[in-house]
Amino acid sequence: MVEDQTPRIGVFICHCGTNIAGSLSVADVVKYAQTLPNVIVAKDYQYMCSTPGQTMIKEAIAEHKLTGVVVAACTPRLHEPTFRIATREGGLNEFRFEMANIRDQNSWVHMHDWDGATAKAKDQVRIAVAKARLLEDLTPKSVPVEHAAMVVGGGVGGIQASLDLASAGIKTYLIEQTPSIGGRMSQLDKTFPTLDCSQCILSPKMVDAGRHPNIILKSYTEVESVEGYIGNFEITLRRKARGTRNAAEMEAAGLKGSGCNGCGDCTSVCPVIKPNPFEFGMAPRKAIYIYHPQVVPLQYTIDFDACVKCGLCKEICGPEKAAIDLDMVDTFEKVKVGCVILATGYDLIPIEDKTEWGYKRYENVITGLEFERLICASGPTGGHLIRPSDGVTPMKVGFVLCAGSRDNTGGSSKPYCSRFCCMYSLKHAHQVMEKIPGCVPYIFYMDIRSFGKMYEEFYYRIQNEGAKFIRGRVASLQEDPVTKNIYVKAEDTLLGRPVTVECDIVVLAAAIKPKADAEHIRQMFGISKSQDGWYLEAHPKLNPCGTTTAGIFLAGVCQGPKDIPDTVGQAEGAASAASIPIHKGEVELEPYFAQCVESLCAGCGMCIPQCPYKALSLKSLDDGRQVMTVTEAKCKGCGTCGGYCPGGAIKMQHFTSPQICAQIDAFLLGGLGGEQ
Amino acid sequence: MATHMEHSYAFFLGCIAPNRYPGCEASAIKTSAKLGIELLPLKGASCCPAPGAFGSIDLNVWYAMAARNLCLAEEMGKDIALICNGCYKSIWEVNHKLKHNDELRDGVNEVLAEIDMQYKGTINVWHLAELYYDDKICGVKKVADSVTRPLTGTKVAVHYGCHLMKPQKDRHFGDTENPMWLEELVGALGAEPVQYRNKMQCCGAGGGVRGYDLLHALDITNEKLINIKEAGADALTEVCPFCQLQFDRGQVEIAQNFGKKYNLPILHFNELLGLAQGMTPAELAIDLHAVDCTSFLEKIQ
Repeated sequence: MVEDQTPRIGVFICHCGTNIAGSLSVADVVKYAQTLPNVIVAKDYQYMCSTPGQTMIKEAIAEHKLTGVVVAACTPRLHEPTFRIATREGGLNEFRFEMANIRDQNSWVHMHDWDGATAKAKDQVRIAVAKARLLEDLTPKSVPVEHAAMVVGGGVGGIQASLDLASAGIKTYLIEQTPSIGGRMSQLDKTFPTLDCSQCILSPKMVDAGRHPNIILKSYTEVESVEGYIGNFEITLRRKARGTRNAAEMEAAGLKGSGCNGCGDCTSVCPVIKPNPFEFGMAPRKAIYIYHPQVVPLQYTIDFDACVKCGLCKEICGPEKAAIDLDMVDTFEKVKVGCVILATGYDLIPIEDKTEWGYKRYENVITGLEFERLICASGPTGGHLIRPSDGVTPMKVGFVLCAGSRDNTGGSSKPYCSRFCCMYSLKHAHQVMEKIPGCVPYIFYMDIRSFGKMYEEFYYRIQNEGAKFIRGRVASLQEDPVTKNIYVKAEDTLLGRPVTVECDIVVLAAAIKPKADAEHIRQMFGISKSQDGWYLEAHPKLNPCGTTTAGIFLAGVCQGPKDIPDTVGQAEGAASAASIPIHKGEVELEPYFAQCVESLCAGCGMCIPQCPYKALSLKSLDDGRQVMTVTEAKCKGCGTCGGYCPGGAIKMQHFTSPQICAQIDAFLLGGLGGEQ
Repeated sequence: MATHMEHSYAFFLGCIAPNRYPGCEASAIKTSAKLGIELLPLKGASCCPAPGAFGSIDLNVWYAMAARNLCLAEEMGKDIALICNGCYKSIWEVNHKLKHNDELRDGVNEVLAEIDMQYKGTINVWHLAELYYDDKICGVKKVADSVTRPLTGTKVAVHYGCHLMKPQKDRHFGDTENPMWLEELVGALGAEPVQYRNKMQCCGAGGGVRGYDLLHALDITNEKLINIKEAGADALTEVCPFCQLQFDRGQVEIAQNFGKKYNLPILHFNELLGLAQGMTPAELAIDLHAVDCTSFLEKIQ
């Protein structure tokens, strides 16, 4: 530990190969640093982050009895941890390290201004040294982590993440807003490129999730509010009024009766018929319903918007089960978890907004998801693909790829690739050729993106099976008013001429977008989004499962378009990442929290409502005086209170007023270094 | 003529209406008068100029000539109303561009200074059909109320035309792939608007195609006529004299070149409205059309 003494600063300047040294004079910056007050040693090295580079820091600390270390290199997001450890290993408190970002914020942006970049690097080093002179020893704080996790979203990603967490011995709440888990994958007929039956490979996982002793499955439930921080999230759940209770719920409510066993007697007597959203409205369901026979949990749900409360269901359910409660209301419960995984999935864009394709206007234009239901043996047509207009089996099927994807025209269109449409359209083409002898699929594409394992091979297979590929975006679909056939107009960019193909039915591979309530969930959990609306990962390459909010992780399409293998892979990654702090039992928090200087605090309490994290409160001292106190684990060190306090009684650790003033002085007073 | 109606506009005639289809011009003035819209002569107006013929060759000439027409209306202190999609493309779009691009406006004003004119950007440009549809000016109900001889029992196909509706991002008509507002206006006259395949396809004439490659233009027109006939239409209505020319005289040329006869009456919406307001075919110069409209006229007797 450093005794109270005159600061002794070491400055280390990194070449970063030619990333920095190619755009500014490192030698000049070193020479300049040596002239700065309190700088004892200034050196440069090819790669400061390398082992010799770090050793250089450690040795300098011992040799020159340094009190502070400045490294001028890349961004703290990349190597601050590296240099902090080097500082600690050299015998200094790790928070006596300061970084000047002369790469991302200098050499990379001023690549063609040698003198300007060199001068700016000198400024940056001078500013960093000014702060380093005032750095203090700090100790990170540890908080305990609740031995439980929550997964929001019960699609294949959420199911996989829950199973992994639960199997690792962690109590896991799996939250699903619809009555059954399964998500999009349960709506698919087959999966590419293996042509497995989607439901067949998914349902074992659904069943496992439903009966795993460590998984607390909350279907028909939504997240109402979120409080707390990593290790200690307090989450309020809204259990939507389902109208039925299962055995456990009957017992918990202290009611007599065995509860819903999924017998379905109720649905047979229900007089209200509504479109089934699971089948995209192409099949009916009753007001008391399950989506499909393989739902988990197998428990009926009443659509109270449609229910006429005739009571027939309750009557037939009988007093022995007594599962139905027509007066049920939403209930709330609070659960405490250490980490959360978001797996909220996707919707299709409203493809009817692309009016040139006439979806919802032309009966025989459907989406890829509707095709899945129509080709699925458990779907509304028993797996017979038919034209919605007349029930006739189509012999020419058009597929419009990139329908709203890779499209910069604005509105509902998305500039990004939705990543699975090429592959599922190839699969669709295979399915129509397999199920309908003589049926010809016409695939209109920009590029076929078959990038995964065995995907390209699948593409060749479909070509060899006889699918027609036309490279060109579809300009418009025109319905023949009499036959209801669809004329597909496109430019064949390989032939260099326009083509029109008359098809019996056309399938739009519509782009995907975040769920409608994704934004609300994002704000509740306090995570960021990328400009396209998907949840933002902590790092696109090196931390794809984490977020910038500690303790919140991402799985599946909510983070960006991806297919089932990628979703499952990310879910397992997220589960693994989330289990680390839970198994460790505690997390270390950066000691950047605010501190109340009690001798200066007037106890006015004006800072308390300013805090976005509810980290501040008032306490009484022994002498009866009121002062503010900080719940350090909740504090994110944002500095709002510190800037607000009229008495200057709040100290922001590692960003104290003297430190920041010294940096400003160093910048504005130039070479004077703020000393004179 | 003193202004005595609620709404008055500088009436930009264009070239084709006065030279080829005087009925378009006459019906616009007569039907508007019955709807409280006064069309005042825009004296000294030139060609719009044609967006394909001029715009494709020299944009600066296109800007300057259109701006001169706009200046004439600015001097009158009136918004422009017009009845041709090509004129709409030129006059509306140049007005829009000059209002939003200082550099372009300065350049155009440099040219206009030679004839002591200056574009100020003080007026708006409207297609008469959109004024009919606009509830603040007229509205479908007022159009329906003006009808004295409903076109009941007739099936009328609608052609919007490209220059009116597109490019979508520069226009304000909402859906340009399946618009229905002209159908609403046709319905207000008592006729049944019919939908046909590829409704938004070009008439074939625009963009200089008719001038450059007549057979190609007629091929497009022919496809449209097939689709319209298939839907059982008794007549086609449009809001552009150039589309009208292509559909009307084009039928004669199609008969000559392809040997196909359609005998489909082609009526500008204003002519159709005039008939519904009880005017005679002669008043509306419908007898000057290349395709005989008798079959349609008999249906509405």
